[in-house]
Formats: sequence, structure tokens, C-alpha cells
Amino acid sequence: MSSSLTLAPAPPSEAAEEVRTQVREFLAAEQAAGTFSTHVDTWLSGVDPAFSRKLGERGWLGMTWPKEYGGHERSAMERYAVTEELLAAGAPVAAHWIADRQSGPNLLRYGTEVQRQEILPRIAAGECYFVIGMSEPDSGSDLASIRTRAARNGDGDWVVNGAKIWTSNAHHSHYGIVLVRTGPPGEGPRGKHQGLTQLLVDLSLPGISINPIRILDGGHHFNEVVFEDVVVPGDMLLGEEGAGWHQVTAELAFERSGPERFLSTYPLLAEFGRRAADSGDAAQLATLGRLSARLLALRQLSLRIAAALDRGELPDIPAALVKDVGTTFEGDVVDEIRRVVEVTPSLDSPDPLDRALAEAQLHAPGYTLRGGTNEILRGIVARGLGLR
Amino acid sequence: MASDQDLVVETVRDILAGHEPFALTAERPWDAGLWADLAEAGLTGVGLPEEAGGSGGELADAIAIARTLAAGAAAVPVAEQLLVAGPALLAAGLDLPSPEEPLTIAVEGAVTAEPVDDGDGPGRWTLTGTATDVAWAGVARHVAVLTAAPEGIEGAVLALVDTEGLATSDARNLAGEPRGSLVLGGAPAAGALLTPARAGEVRARYALARAVQLAAALERVLAWTVQYAGERQQFGRPLGKFQAIQMELAEMAGEVTAVTALVDAAVQTLGRGEDVVLAAAAAKVRAGAAVEVVARLAHQVHGAIGFTQEHKLHHLTRRCWSWRDEAGSELTWSRVLGVGLLTEGGDGLWPALTRVV
Ligand SMILES: Cc1cc2nc3c(=O)[nH]c(=O)nc-3n(C[C@H](O)[C@H](O)[C@H](O)COP(=O)(O)OP(=O)(O)OC[C@H]3O[C@@H](n4cnc5c(N)ncnc54)[C@H](O)[C@@H]3O)c2cc1C
Repeated sequence: MSSSLTLAPAPPSEAAEEVRTQVREFLAAEQAAGTFSTHVDTWLSGVDPAFSRKLGERGWLGMTWPKEYGGHERSAMERYAVTEELLAAGAPVAAHWIADRQSGPNLLRYGTEVQRQEILPRIAAGECYFVIGMSEPDSGSDLASIRTRAARNGDGDWVVNGAKIWTSNAHHSHYGIVLVRTGPPGEGPRGKHQGLTQLLVDLSLPGISINPIRILDGGHHFNEVVFEDVVVPGDMLLGEEGAGWHQVTAELAFERSGPERFLSTYPLLAEFGRRAADSGDAAQLATLGRLSARLLALRQLSLRIAAALDRGELPDIPAALVKDVGTTFEGDVVDEIRRVVEVTPSLDSPDPLDRALAEAQLHAPGYTLRGGTNEILRGIVARGLGLR
Repeated sequence: MASDQDLVVETVRDILAGHEPFALTAERPWDAGLWADLAEAGLTGVGLPEEAGGSGGELADAIAIARTLAAGAAAVPVAEQLLVAGPALLAAGLDLPSPEEPLTIAVEGAVTAEPVDDGDGPGRWTLTGTATDVAWAGVARHVAVLTAAPEGIEGAVLALVDTEGLATSDARNLAGEPRGSLVLGGAPAAGALLTPARAGEVRARYALARAVQLAAALERVLAWTVQYAGERQQFGRPLGKFQAIQMELAEMAGEVTAVTALVDAAVQTLGRGEDVVLAAAAAKVRAGAAVEVVARLAHQVHGAIGFTQEHKLHHLTRRCWSWRDEAGSELTWSRVLGVGLLTEGGDGLWPALTRVV
């Protein structure tokens, strides 16, 4: 098969297993103390700053970053183990998730020294949260068609006008990395990739309004973020003016590769495991086996990506592939389970399986959309296969 | 990816190049000529130690050979011999037959084993009854039969039976590979008692061997399909330029990549001497699940030509449709995995999942 799709197997990591044990002990203690209860898809909906700060205190945020920026210089394999344990437990990780996963690494690659010194230690402490400011009302998959504009004023600052949408957790966050048009597009089919720029925007600036949009279960995670003559200081340019497209693409490789792309519905699978253990029902056990086999394959793929990141590679095409296969799995968990268990899904049910199923079902449309739809991802994979 | 196995893979490919796959029939149920060439090159003993009569080399070499042959739709019992029966006999302390004579494994059927004193010392057994679904029945000269131990003894018996003169039925799988029954005549055979755990390992090895073959075959099916989509033109363009076809090929690639990652990891558990049962179960089930998608889409992209025996595609798709339910069906191994992951109760699922591979 085309080598751009396959990655070398991940070598076993003792350090990762060590930190995994520590996270498990921490989570068991927190659950015993009642500081959180398990939910599905908590990296979107489980906002809990106190919990995020506890993770920061234990050194489990900014794990792979240099110590001078508050990081811990640990491997991507160790970070993988930590994030995987948190997701499997359905812990409330949404507050810091984006900052730790992609905004921090983005700042490390492209940020100025001042930006890094100011912001990265606060992310690693679990105190500073980020949003992704990419999508707009008229620009989803065709991201390069965005219309939010920024122009320099006489003081060298940026004046931003436009609107971003689907901005997860903007109402709980401090900064956004906002993709804006700062120059005209170029010629040809890829010309629109020119003239795009990333800005680091303090969400408390005057002229920014954050309007809630409710998702299917009534939860408020989405927002519309409107910019009206927002003055962003000139030194808040991220990376290079006009290099926004390149930077966004690199950022998406981080966004797409992690265990949250197949574990969003794991708490439902865990609940189903309890049911199958109690019932001993043959069909349920077989379904558990089938779903587990798929999950185990996804883990291996995701581990291979973590190992590739440790080798300094940017495995964007395999990451797209894992996200496609993984998010499809997240939805299938719902369908497969309800085929073999009597259920009455309801968010109010006293039965934890009914509740988890309700949460997973109502979040299901999002799995294969966020971070680039599966159709777009398959296009990337097709390119890896040499078809385009 | 360059690996230590490149040389052995090259050798197998060179030999394969001289033997086109063909549609198997009752008259021509295997590729005897290919087997002879492989045996002559010492490849039918790879991974089995020299002092036991094998050709030496690593487990990884044997896996690489099985993969290459599976991708080439080679009609020879090499996976059974190198990955299952050979290692099982050795682990049970039994002698290997000559690697030049095809050896297979039998784990199904109604076979009774009784200890016998035929003057050849201890470890002699008579096996009577019928072994069913025996891969390469009628082709393999020797069969390692795994069956329940006699009443009152826990575990299983593994015995090496010479098939010369035994009656076989002519059942074949979807690809025409021999899968008949073997009527055991009760001639004394060398055998050994296995604990239930060891017997479980033999079954798991067999399942893992099929998973390895499936992974290789699926990878090749994808490669063929990508290539075909690049060559076949309709509406003035190669098929691969149509987005609908790209989506299908990308979906196939996702399945194949997932299978390969898990099968590779499961194979590592063999090398590390870890409990292989759940890893093998997961690999087998995952590979089987991928067959649904990959075979369906491969045929869809190939159109009518792929639905014929003129085109090579069927050599692999028909095998995949059978292999996924051989060495224990997909349903059986799904249950084994489900039950095995819950041995520490429902709360133990996640820790169990992170231990499997
Ligand atoms: C839970 C969730 C959280 C999100 N969080 C954020 C966030 O924090 N920040 C942010 O910026 N964005 C966020 N998004 C937005 C997300 O990135 C977009 O939803 C996504 O990029 C798709 O854009 P769209 O929704 O406008 O759909 P569209 O692009 O309009 O697509 C609609 C459908 O058409 C298909 N389609 C579009 N173009 C093609 C094509 N060329 N070929 C084939 N099919 C095509 C798509 O695959 C999809 O099925 C979030 C989305 C979700 C669901």
C-alpha cells in the first residue's frame, strides 16, 4: 500500500504505562470523591476549570512541550496514555482540550517568544483555554472561502470584522486562533489559499460578541462569535502574515490524530460492558467482542501516529484516515448496542445505559463533521492513494 | 518500510512469479508445483529450528512468508505448517515431520483419543472418529490433530497423524481450497497432553494465522483496486477521478490500514510470549469485519469483469470470504473476545482493553 498511509508500529513505552497507572489512580480517587460523573463526549461538553487545573498541577497538560514554557518534555506516547485514560473515564476535559491539543502546539511552532512565554505556561497550568476560529456561516468544508477580514490600521494593529460560527466553548475561553483574510486571493484553483492569516485574539476585546447556539440535546457548546471593528494588537499576529493556510493545515494534523476521534462514545461502550457482564447474553458478548476488536485496531493506529509525532513527523494523511475510521466507529457503537439490548434512551432515565445511549445518540451527528467531515477526510486519503 | 524480512519476501515473490494462481477444482486442489519449489528453497521450514528439522529463522520470517503467499493467492498449506501445526507440535514436545511433506492442523470434529501402549514407549495415542473442516485434507501428508483428552483427564491431546491411506471427503471452501473431513483409522500416533490453556493457544494461533493471511490479502485487493481505478476509463476519465470512487477506495484503505495495525500488534504478542488468545481473537474479528467492506467495494469498483473467473480478483475475494469464518468463525471469536474482556467484571473492561495488545 502507498507508504503515505502506513506507519511503523509504535514501540511499547514503559513511561506511558507508568503515567497511565497514575492517571487511573487519580481518576478513581476523583470519582470516589464525587468531583465528576462520567458522560459521553466530554471533550466537547465537560467543561470544568477546577478539574483542568488539577490536571495541570499533576503535569498532565502541555506534556510534550519544553520545560521553559511550562511543559514537561514527555513523549507523545505518554500524552496519548493520559488523554486516552481521561476520555475512557468520561472525565470533564473540555475546558482545556483545544488549548492543550492544538493551540499550544500551534503557538510552539509559530508563536513569538513573547506569545509563548505569556500563554503556554498558563495552558499547561490548566488556566487558559482556547477556541478554534475557523468555520463561518458560509464557509465550512471550503474553509479557504472565509470572509472575516483583518486590516492593519495606522498603529500597526489589526482591525477585524466578520463572524465565526460553531465555535466550541467560546463562552468559557480566553483566546481564539482566528483565521482571517488579510490579503487578496491569488490566481488559479489554489489561489484562495493565499492571503489568509492566523491571529491570536483575546476574546474579551471590545467589539466581540459571543452568541450561544444550542445543539440537539439542548446543550450550549456552540457559539457564533461576531467581530465588529475589533482592534487586535499588531504583535498578536500568529506566525506569518499570509501563511495562514499552511499553518491551519499543520494544526489540523494535530487535531485529527488523537484518541478523542474514536473514544467519544466509549463511556457508552463501558456501560454496555457492565450490562453484558451481568446478563451473560451471547449476542451481547459477541457485539462487545466485535466493537472491541474495532476499538483495538483504532488504538493501534492512533498509537502509531503518536509514535510518528515523537519521531518528529507530521502524519497528516494517516491522521485523516484514523479520524474517518474512528468517528464512524463512534456512531456505530450506538447502533450496534441498541440492536442487542432492550433500551429506552432518555437523558432522564434512572438506567445508566439508557442515559449514555441518549447522550451518544444526540451527539452522534457531530462525530463525523467536526474537525473536517469524513467526506473531506476521504478526499485526503484518496490523495494519499495517489488518486488526486 | 525496509525490514529484516525483505530478502525472504523477495525469494518468495520470485518463486511465486513462476506460478500463476488458478481456480482450484477437485482435480487440481492445490499448487503442488509451487509447494515443490518452496520446499526446495527451504521455505517450508522457516521459523522452525534446524535441530528439529526446520530451516531456522525467525517467527517474523515465517509470518512474512505466509503474508506474501496469501497476497499471491498461493494454494499451499504454508500458513498451517509454519504458523500453526509446526510450532504447536514443537511446543508439545513432539517431533516434526519433514518440512518438505505438507503438514496441516485439525481442531474441529468428533475425535476420541485414547492412550495406547504399542511398544513405542510413552506418548502414543490412538485417534478414532472424524476430523472435520480440515484445511488441505487430502493434500497434507500429516495432520496435527487437537482433540479433547479422554474422560477424566483435563485438557486436550495433540497428536501427529500420518494421513496416508485415510479416507477424506471432498468438501471445499468458497475459493475451492480443500476443507474436507478426515476419517481417523485408529493407527497409533505420537501425541501429548496439553493443558486447556495450551490447547487454547493452538486454536488462537490458528485464528491469528488466518488473520495474517486476511490482512495480506486485503492489502493486495486494495492495491489491485486502486490500480484498476487508475487504468479503467469511463466518460473519458479514469474511474479514480470520480469522487464517488475515491470515497470507496478511501473507505477500503481505512479498513485495510486498521486491520494491518491490529494484526501486526497481535503477532507481536506471539513473539513476546504473552497471552495470545485475546489478541488473536481481536485480530481475527477485525480482519473478518474488514472483508465485508473491502470485498464488496473492490467488486463494485471492478464492475462486471471482477465478477468473472477471467479476472484475478476472485482469487483473493473468495478466499477472504472463507478465511474470515475459518479457524473458528467470526461469531465464535467475537464471543471469546467479549467474554475474555469481562473476566474481571464489567468495570474491568477498559483495563482489559489496554492489556490485549
Ligand atoms: C461538534 C462540532 C464542533 C465544532 N467546533 C468547531 C470549532 O470549535 N471551530 C470551528 O471553526 N468549527 C467548528 N466546527 C465546524 C466544523 O469544522 C464544520 O462543521 C465542518 O468543517 C463542516 O462544515 P459545515 O458544517 O459548514 O458543512 P458543509 O461544508 O456545508 O458540508 C455539508 C455536507 O456536504 C459535504 N461536502 C462539502 N463539501 C464537499 C465536497 N467537496 N465533496 C464532498 N462532500 C462535500 C460535507 O462532507 C457534509 O456532509 C464544529 C462542528 C461540530 C459538528
